[in-house]
Amino acid sequence: MHIRRPSTAIFWLLGALACGRVWATDWEVSLDTRLVSADGEKSYLDGGMGILRYGSDRSGVQLGRARVAISQDLGQILVLKLDASAWGEHDKNPVDLTEAYFELRPYPRSGWRVRLKGGAFYAPISLENRTEGWESPYTLSSSALDSWVAEELRTIGLEAKVDWMGTRLGHDFDVGLAAAVFGWNEPAGVELATSGFNITDWQSSLFGRVGPYGAAPFGAVREYQQIDSHAGYYVGANLKYLDRLTVQALHYDNRADPTAENEITGVYAWKTKFDTAGLRFEDDSGWTAIVQWLGGETSVWPDDVGLLKWDFSTRYALLSKRLGRNTLSARYDNFDVTPSAPGSSGDQSGHAWTLAYRFELDKHWRLTLEWVNARSTQSNRAIFFGEAPFATQNQLQLAIRYAIGSR
Amino acid sequence: MTRDGSPWRPFVRPAAHQGAYRCLQLIAGLVALLAAPAALAGALVVNVHMADGRALPGVVVTVQPLEGSAKPNPPIEAVMDQIDLAFSPDLLVIPVGSTVTFPNSDTTSHQVYSFSPAHPFQLPLYRGKPRAPERFDRAGLVTLGCNIHDNMLAYIVVTDAAYFGRTSASGAWSQSGVARGKYRVTIWYPRVRDAAANLQRDVTIGDVERAEVSIKLEKTLRPAPLEKRPHSWDAY
Repeated sequence: MHIRRPSTAIFWLLGALACGRVWATDWEVSLDTRLVSADGEKSYLDGGMGILRYGSDRSGVQLGRARVAISQDLGQILVLKLDASAWGEHDKNPVDLTEAYFELRPYPRSGWRVRLKGGAFYAPISLENRTEGWESPYTLSSSALDSWVAEELRTIGLEAKVDWMGTRLGHDFDVGLAAAVFGWNEPAGVELATSGFNITDWQSSLFGRVGPYGAAPFGAVREYQQIDSHAGYYVGANLKYLDRLTVQALHYDNRADPTAENEITGVYAWKTKFDTAGLRFEDDSGWTAIVQWLGGETSVWPDDVGLLKWDFSTRYALLSKRLGRNTLSARYDNFDVTPSAPGSSGDQSGHAWTLAYRFELDKHWRLTLEWVNARSTQSNRAIFFGEAPFATQNQLQLAIRYAIGSR
Repeated sequence: MTRDGSPWRPFVRPAAHQGAYRCLQLIAGLVALLAAPAALAGALVVNVHMADGRALPGVVVTVQPLEGSAKPNPPIEAVMDQIDLAFSPDLLVIPVGSTVTFPNSDTTSHQVYSFSPAHPFQLPLYRGKPRAPERFDRAGLVTLGCNIHDNMLAYIVVTDAAYFGRTSASGAWSQSGVARGKYRVTIWYPRVRDAAANLQRDVTIGDVERAEVSIKLEKTLRPAPLEKRPHSWDAY
């Protein structure tokens, strides 16, 4: 049988499921609504230079996230995971996928385990966004580091993980290695060069774009497209001490050709590479501490302009204390983007404090109160908006989240 | 009744003072009756203490004869449930030949496996109705996991020991009616880091004897698994 269209493949897959053995489906639906009070400038999501999700123009009741996730077993060791969300922003599609992938998980043997992923998914970078939907159990807004990952990075390709399960063999450590090849992630970096790092909980969608369509000066960018013929890769490693400490590092390079341009959309391939390292420590009295750093460079080489290049780096420290159903968390973020080739504009230097209190009423209801204070200096504020380069933003949110699911 | 069914000890009858003798005989008979099990075999007490001197509860104690062979313990039917993404209990001690049923009380599927040489096995994905019981025919340690939920970890100690058990809240395990002879006492606990040599003691049990074995760990324990973190946190 010759399958020419993806929709045909999905049709046959669903048909096979319907006719064959019925495998278990896990699902989760959640609705997160917000009461927002913000005093800052218009958000980057609304075409402004604000680095938070909401500016003063969005104070009031907002949709935080409506999410549907499905985990469908397709046999003993194969699972399909789909995660779709509506964010109530200027998204191209009202509901769109943030992740969609197959995972193959053979049984471990002699202390070794292999995991394979194929599709679109997050690279193993985040230490804070560890719960379903790539959300944080500590805060509403992600760190600048993870906000950028959510905005511009998704692995669309294949990832292999090999784990040595030392703790199952009587040792104190587990060790894991991950490697991936991917495509369709070549605009990654453009947002850093234009609007810099953000502190947000919004995640870009696989078929969507970043920013409102047609908004000056940067327009909207469709992040997940292939412009040249190069595949990117990442390699990562993690070391775990029992369930107390996780140390991880990753090297990412999308290997884009910075001279390649999408002739129709005019979007260039951004050659982006970075390294990241961090650790998470948890103790038995409910404390969690996370520190993580990410640093790299991105460049683009339009024919008529020449090489444009930026260095970027960000780091954060998070401290959280869990007391029963209450979690109190504080995070400090620091971030900068520095042009490193003549003619490149769009620098940024800033830092932010995030304080969050979370109360889990039961397995369905969750309340979070979060305050973010961000201070950033960006020359693009002056160049494109005629405003002072330095700005302070405050954002107070009360989130009420209801979730229901098969688990 | 003792394991080897030893006879009553002979009571030597004195020559004179019949009245006093009868009285003594009655008292001695009562004493003999009360002391009978100990008289036929010994009692064994094992105490386990951590490096800081505190008692360690829950430690698996196995006692193997060093001479001859012990009559094997009859197999049992044990249950290890899965509740809130954790095995419950997370440690079982069973005689060789026993079966264990693994129900799933969660609403999500589990996929129980072990790659331990003593009993490598895997249960296909299931939820609700448990799979058929798993029979453990070889002595050894079986470490269990779930192929979907990484944090799930449990142990089954399959033993052919003559006597076995786990230490109480006061860190003690005792067994009466241990037949006379030489034994090796071995302890095991998932959080213990000591070398094997410190986890074994040889002991001789004689008649009317209460042998006591004290094991003090040299190294501090591994930290206990975190309890305050919801099991659902690690989705990535």
